[in-house]
Amino acid sequence: MGSRPLDEASHVARAKRGDAAAYEELVRMHQAIAFRVALVAAGDRGDAEEAVQDAFVKAYRALGRFREGAPFRPWLLRIVANEARNKRRSAGRRAELAVRVAAAASGDAAPSPEAAALSHARREDLLAALGALEGRDREVLVHRFLLDLGEEETAAALGVRRGTVKSRTSRALERMRAVLEEEMR
Amino acid sequence: MNGLEHELRALAPLVEWPETPDVASAVAARVEASPPRRRPLRGLGLAFAVVLLTLAVALAVPPARTAIFDWFGIGSARIVRVDELPPLQLNASVEALGEPTSLADARRRAGFPVASPPRDEPAPDEIRLVDGRRVSYLWHDGDRIRLLVTQVPGLLQRGEILRKLIPPPVRIEQFTIDGDGAVFLTGGPHAVYLLGPNGSFEQDQGWLAGATLLVDRGGSTLRIEGNLDRKRAVELARSMK
Repeated sequence: MGSRPLDEASHVARAKRGDAAAYEELVRMHQAIAFRVALVAAGDRGDAEEAVQDAFVKAYRALGRFREGAPFRPWLLRIVANEARNKRRSAGRRAELAVRVAAAASGDAAPSPEAAALSHARREDLLAALGALEGRDREVLVHRFLLDLGEEETAAALGVRRGTVKSRTSRALERMRAVLEEEMR
Repeated sequence: MNGLEHELRALAPLVEWPETPDVASAVAARVEASPPRRRPLRGLGLAFAVVLLTLAVALAVPPARTAIFDWFGIGSARIVRVDELPPLQLNASVEALGEPTSLADARRRAGFPVASPPRDEPAPDEIRLVDGRRVSYLWHDGDRIRLLVTQVPGLLQRGEILRKLIPPPVRIEQFTIDGDGAVFLTGGPHAVYLLGPNGSFEQDQGWLAGATLLVDRGGSTLRIEGNLDRKRAVELARSMK
């Protein structure tokens, strides 16, 4: 996903003045996380792509309302997730989790020792347990852990308060533990 | 961090996400021609929005509506938070609520199910009807309106009651009353757009600066305005069958 460059604020300021190139740069910085958040919310790749593109355009037009100095990513992710949920609703789909884990670690980032230590069977168990959770429990865990979003960003993407993210996360973890224990019996 | 959180974080880099599409160029091309609205222009921006809405009324074309709400950036959401309202022209006269009539006549001509006035209030001082499409119950207190209950056809899809422009001081509470979607607004005036029976927009205005309860009753949308707290407003709505 890459680290967020320090000059994000200056890109935002330039984009607010109508600098489309600066905005394009902002889009490049955030399109990966935006796409994944949209994918989780829309449940369909094509809709997620469309939602991300539309959301970036809307965010650009709404930049005048963005408070300078505030974190850009939560603000953006709120717009992205909203757009993606709207696409899902208009397609009449339910929110479904459609993620797979690699049988062996792959991708451009070297796996952490912790990831390498997670057996293939355990990965499948974890995903199965996630899949067995209620939608709200699952989505909060996916955002917090699989997408590695902070509480504020998760709150923005789910359209809830930060306190709700905290309480839902803790409840969802408890339920997931119960599901895993059940599977182990 | 406990064991399960640790494992979930370890799982994150192993998730096979579909490749991220590069939307940057497409977005840049789309935004190039339309610079973002800036704060000092927000009043003008909103005026422009109102012009667009007016245009939508004239055209009454569904894609135009979508574009307008896209323009606001809210998709199909029904409540729009805005920095400031277009100038609100609070209705100066009850004439705007239509002609005085009787309940039986209003029911006959309304074209949608009209609920009776609230049971635990005295009978309304007036019942007014607009174009057979809006029924209002009014209670006066001297020369001001103490309580106003308006019913309009509920031709929107469930969950899409009204398009309302809500400035920052207005608080919004969303809940349900016996399964009907409801919104309670307090803290100041707001602009309201109703979707008319032919798909057109109809601009409405806050009659009172007091609290407003909106209830989606399926066949009709109920709006209760006055100096009410949420509990009282809900009681009134419940007593209207």
